[in-house]
Amino acid sequence: MYRQFAAATMMVTFLFLNCAEGLAHHSVAANFDQSKTLDVTGKVKEFEIRNPHSQITLEVTKPDGGVEDFYVEWSDKNALMRRTVPVDKIRVGDKVTINVNPSRRLPNLGYFRTATLPDGTVLKDCGFAAYRESVAKGTKITC
Amino acid sequence: MNRIRFARWTCIIEIAAALLIANGAYAAGKRAELDGVWILLRADIGKLQLTPAGEKLRAAYDFQKDDPDFQCKPASFTRIMHTPSPPIEVRQHQDYVEINYEFMDVKRRVPIKKGLTAKEAPYAVREHPHLGKSAGQYEGETLVIDTEGQKAGVLDTLGVPGLYQSDQIRTVEKLIPDGDKMQIVVTHYDPVYLVQPLTVTFSYLRLPDGKIMEWGCKPEEATFERFLPGTR
Repeated sequence: MYRQFAAATMMVTFLFLNCAEGLAHHSVAANFDQSKTLDVTGKVKEFEIRNPHSQITLEVTKPDGGVEDFYVEWSDKNALMRRTVPVDKIRVGDKVTINVNPSRRLPNLGYFRTATLPDGTVLKDCGFAAYRESVAKGTKITC
Repeated sequence: MNRIRFARWTCIIEIAAALLIANGAYAAGKRAELDGVWILLRADIGKLQLTPAGEKLRAAYDFQKDDPDFQCKPASFTRIMHTPSPPIEVRQHQDYVEINYEFMDVKRRVPIKKGLTAKEAPYAVREHPHLGKSAGQYEGETLVIDTEGQKAGVLDTLGVPGLYQSDQIRTVEKLIPDGDKMQIVVTHYDPVYLVQPLTVTFSYLRLPDGKIMEWGCKPEEATFERFLPGTR
């Protein structure tokens, strides 16, 4: 009986922690299509870690040889710091591939999911829900 | 037969005991436990019923133009708390409570004085008088904060995007301690835009050794316009 109660409690806790994910990304969900992903390869032109959202500007070469900017929004600076994301691995001038959820409104904007760096390292955005879970469990994350 | 009945009753008593223990733990929250840094677990929005005026404003809401976030302006305490990642800090003192919100660097002071009404209280956030005046008192272990004098404008852009408030709005917040969890139950009373009071319940988790960091919002970095061609 106690085992069942404990299992039920764990289930409720799990649901409780997971329910918040939708809210955590409410504004992101409103502005970015989370059902779609897009790989964008380009040279890092600017990388600004800041609040309310960090931003990576990629210089992307078009099929006609021209160059255009693609903007990648990411978590706020404070959240990235708390989640100990190794953001210093992204360097201006590096050629990277960033996987994004595309903007619902603008063709040159996306929200960060992963970044593949020149040495093959993949940086991932675990989101706030993973951080919250790590706090609840007393563990650390780096994404 | 008797053995089956006994087993059933045992089960019922065990469940009841477990529920009582769980409930007892909740009721055992002490006001001292409110102190600390908290991160948002979830927010539950109650039934929203807008007046025709509220519906009209909400239908016309355009986040690119109307969201005060893009000017680094905190719309309301509810809006601030709806931002999931930046934590809040509660520190209780003899005659006031400070609530520091990392989002937009909002530092709120709520006087605790018997008989003091929100209307008589000073502005809760000196830099943002549009957030109104707050007065607090304890009801048992719960801290109850009454706020009036908020300026008309956008109330929420995240939980209920496009929700507006009038200058007649009154807000009551109940901070309920529960060990390493806390609930803030916010009830908005607005005769102009709400048919019935709107309740939003924020559930928080204590952030061990947590600190409030600087937000440092700059409008030129927050605006949506920065993505539009020819604006950089």
